[in-house]
Amino acid sequence: MPPPALLLAGCQGPQSALAPAGPAAQAAAWLWWGMLGWFALVWAAVLGLWLYALVRRPPDCDEARAKRLGRRWIVAGGLLLPGFSILALLVFGIPQGLRMLPLLREGEAPLRIEVIGHQWWWEVSYPESGVVTANRLALPVGRPVDLELTSVDVIHSFWVPSLAGKLDMLPGRRLTLRLVAERAGVYRGQCAEFCGAQHARMALSVEALAPEEFERWQAARRVAPPVPAEHAAAVAAFRPYCGQCHRVAGISPGGRGPDLTDVGSRPSLGAGTLAMGEGAMRRWLDEHQRLKPHNGMPRHDALPAGTLDAIAAWLESLRP
Amino acid sequence: MSEAEGDRLHQALLAVWADPRGWRALSAVSHGRIGRRFLLTGGAFFLIDGLLAMLMRAQLARPEQALLDHRVYNQLFTLHGTLMMFLFAVPILEGLAFYLIPKMLGARDLLFPRLSAFGYWCYLFGGLILLASLPLGLAPDGGWFMYTPLSGAAHSPGPGADVWLVGTTLVEISSLAGGIELTVSILRGRAPGMSLDRMPLFAWYILVTGLMIVFGFPPLILAGVLLELERAAGFAFFDPARGGDPLLWQHLFWLFGHPEVYIIFLPAAGIVSTLLPVFAGRPLVGYRWAVLAAIGTGFLSFGLWVHHMFTVGIPLLAQAFFSAASMLVAVPTGIQVFAWLATLWTGRPRFAVPMLWLAGFLAIFVAGGLTGVMLALVPFDWQAHDSHFVVAHLHYVLVGGMFFPLVAGLYYWLPHFSGRMPSERLGRWGFWLTFGGFNATFLVMHWTGLLGMPRRVYTYPAGLGWDGPNLISSLGSFVMAMGVAMLLLDLGLHFRFGRRAPANPWRADTLEWATALPPAAYNFASLPACATRHPLWENPALAQGIAAGRHGLAAADHGRRETWGSEPLSGRVREIVQLPGNSWLPLGAALALAALCLALLAGAYGLAGAAALASLAILLRWSWVNGAHPLAAPDARTEPGDPPLHWRTFDGPGLWGMGLSLLADGSLFFSLIFAWFYLWAVAPNWQPPARSPLPALALLLDGLLLGGIVLGFRRLVARLRRRDCRHLEARLWGLAAAGLLQALGLAWILRRTPLAPGAGAHDALVAAIFGYLLLHCALGPLLTALQAWRVRLGLVGERAPYEPAVLDRWWSYCLLAFAIGYSALVLLPAGWAADR
Repeated sequence: MPPPALLLAGCQGPQSALAPAGPAAQAAAWLWWGMLGWFALVWAAVLGLWLYALVRRPPDCDEARAKRLGRRWIVAGGLLLPGFSILALLVFGIPQGLRMLPLLREGEAPLRIEVIGHQWWWEVSYPESGVVTANRLALPVGRPVDLELTSVDVIHSFWVPSLAGKLDMLPGRRLTLRLVAERAGVYRGQCAEFCGAQHARMALSVEALAPEEFERWQAARRVAPPVPAEHAAAVAAFRPYCGQCHRVAGISPGGRGPDLTDVGSRPSLGAGTLAMGEGAMRRWLDEHQRLKPHNGMPRHDALPAGTLDAIAAWLESLRP
Repeated sequence: MSEAEGDRLHQALLAVWADPRGWRALSAVSHGRIGRRFLLTGGAFFLIDGLLAMLMRAQLARPEQALLDHRVYNQLFTLHGTLMMFLFAVPILEGLAFYLIPKMLGARDLLFPRLSAFGYWCYLFGGLILLASLPLGLAPDGGWFMYTPLSGAAHSPGPGADVWLVGTTLVEISSLAGGIELTVSILRGRAPGMSLDRMPLFAWYILVTGLMIVFGFPPLILAGVLLELERAAGFAFFDPARGGDPLLWQHLFWLFGHPEVYIIFLPAAGIVSTLLPVFAGRPLVGYRWAVLAAIGTGFLSFGLWVHHMFTVGIPLLAQAFFSAASMLVAVPTGIQVFAWLATLWTGRPRFAVPMLWLAGFLAIFVAGGLTGVMLALVPFDWQAHDSHFVVAHLHYVLVGGMFFPLVAGLYYWLPHFSGRMPSERLGRWGFWLTFGGFNATFLVMHWTGLLGMPRRVYTYPAGLGWDGPNLISSLGSFVMAMGVAMLLLDLGLHFRFGRRAPANPWRADTLEWATALPPAAYNFASLPACATRHPLWENPALAQGIAAGRHGLAAADHGRRETWGSEPLSGRVREIVQLPGNSWLPLGAALALAALCLALLAGAYGLAGAAALASLAILLRWSWVNGAHPLAAPDARTEPGDPPLHWRTFDGPGLWGMGLSLLADGSLFFSLIFAWFYLWAVAPNWQPPARSPLPALALLLDGLLLGGIVLGFRRLVARLRRRDCRHLEARLWGLAAAGLLQALGLAWILRRTPLAPGAGAHDALVAAIFGYLLLHCALGPLLTALQAWRVRLGLVGERAPYEPAVLDRWWSYCLLAFAIGYSALVLLPAGWAADR
């Protein structure tokens, strides 16, 4: 039974497991509502019995009768009720769990995306197209996506509640999580395994795009655009100073920090710490250690303000 | 006995049993004193930790608040969990059990008084180490379960993780000591005729809990040692790059962690099963069901731990097994709930403040248990795991399932501690504020979690729908704090203003109400036989008879503390257990261990070595002042017709204590061998060498020597049983010498084996297993030599034959461990290689 509209309104949110946008999250949500309904009844019945037993005027009860009643209640409430509930849960739940697994399936092969956890950002790469980005995930609506998860440092956990359950990202291992987005939209994910100082600021922006739009998204990032003349100086400053950590396609190799090839088109900086907007990039370059202390980027006090202005302007323009 | 004689008896008993006053009170060992200390200290940690929680809730009340920075917040949530789980929940329940169990069993004390005193001091010192870390800026910040690699040296370079490891290990030793103490005391220290199925239910719950502690705590002790070795010495256990596995930590932790929560719940359920029949005016319906349910919970709880790891990529078949098993634990829980319901239904419930808290327990705990069953369903857990839904669930089961029954029990047993009755009015206020505040805080938190808020975040952005729920939770927490404050006020005021309690004020059935209120240090002037489950209902005048000295052991002019030693099943009296009096050894040993911990934390390894030696010396002295030693037994006369003193027999508490300690030791060793097999099977970069570095033949010979020693010891004990004590001393010296040779041989083999524990997990584990065996094989000859010396001094022999039997067990265990270690280290790799 669908929950009442009011409850539905309270369930909304870009990171809500109760506003599912994919079959896995939908299954988990249905399981939740079913369990809630049944267990609320059980809880009310048990509490009701307890309270009623406290206030009623009981008839005299001899030992034999008490023993019989006790046995009946214990068997009914302690064996049959849990037994039945457990059976129902497993019968309904296990098939749902199986459906969520990245198993072999007929039809279209899933799209492979690699997501690598870092303290405290997400490295996302599309092996089939060569696109690399950070702190954002774009996927085509309706097509299963297999995320291959790992970590370079500590254990993180990949969780986009609106689409599916979570799977941990373990150093030394590669685990696969299957996502299917059924509705276009922007969803929010967050690291769900405590990973250190800035675990709270490790968010992921997930865009589910119509298939043609997704192709355009990928294609725009596959080819590095030429650098416009007005940004040549910024790029020249960027390469030696920032390029050792940050990759920009066709410009710098990077390798230690997030890829910045499409950074201007991202909704936020610092994995959800600072919303993108007018002056946000410039502000991030100045205040990032105050906004997200201990993040891996060093302070940039050595660079003159003008250079930082130019680099920020160029990075903001990186919108494939 | 006339009144004058009764007084004389009372004075004589007090002379032997009274707890010392002033600063000498630090040497007290009686269970009442130690139990009260645990209760007060646990309560203090609870209140401090509650303040930490209030700070966290204040920070989370609004989005993007900067009340606390991430550093402080991460330390706060780590310490909150650590303090509550290690320094409040288990110790306070152990303390209540220490206080109650001897009284309920009709005994004068627990069977290892110095052990519980030692447990208290280790608890206090470990707790102070953990607590002091916060103001000193050295607090751990990796979460209370300290997952690796985050808690490893690379990602937590500061001292915080070491403080956690060292502090919790010291506290775990305390809890383990308590578990052994309670188990042996319940099995061997009961009233004459109190068979197992006539024991008060509370004693059953504590028995199961004690055994769970014995098996459940060592995996964490091992994990802590391994992680500290990794952090301090670079051994590779949890590092995937070097053949280790971070998941090994999770397995070891949760092997402890899941039984831990049932260790916390079962004593509280025992409180419910004790109070409810009293207030319903009838025995519990389904005594046997409740016992089976408690035992079933205890067993089952060891097979559920993987449900904390459903998101780490374990194969689905394994997940389904643990999912079903986790749900199954609802069965014994349900049995208990319905036994309680049936008791209320068929009885005549009356109102009292404890009943309010029990009703609150039911409402909250059942809700928590049901959300637990929800979490056991894997596809739902994949959403709810590591979100605030789990935070809500765990608080419902822990606060509902432990705190509410604890408060009910405190109110109920208050007349015992103070001799006065609690108030009704203030009690109601305290209850409703706490109950209302708790639910306001945590009910909406289920919602918050399902809206996507993860755990352990020091702040959150606005606009995700989390703002309102978090504000409600934070406001609720303030209401709950007011409730706890009111509770404190009530408890505090009643000491001053409560009306004097009559004898057995609640009209209860169990023996603890047959003492004076508050009780004398010796509990009972004479120890009654007890062949019924409800002694005070069947014989309401029992207390007078006890005080008048009409029952057993009604004498103290021999100057020793004693209680009955009973058979474990039937409760028939077997011996008189002679108990130690006040002693400074427990405090001394705990101080030495604390010094060892602090030295390790400071990196002062020389000092640590000295402290370790000091600890060993004190512990050996402790074991020396036992049995026939003049300090332990100044006057060993018994009345004709009385059972013998325990150290004159072949079976005393020490034998059982050794047995249980070896079970705990075995659990630790099992975890170590599990780690070996686990890493061998699934570690991502496991690199076993082409050939095992161990010299199999030399090890085998060393093991055969050990086997010979064990055989020799067995024969020695068999001779002793036949009262044949010829050459006893010489034989013991001989065995000690052989043992020394064996241990030296093992050390020499270790020295000659090329191991690089810092390079790979394989070598690290070989080194760890080897080190474990070496430690055990080294203790054997030391203890045997001490035994030989005791024979020479006449402390052990034909008239006191008991101690070699205790030592025999140690040797047998060493052989068993050696054999298992040999198979795991030598035979497995050989078989593996042969396969390829």
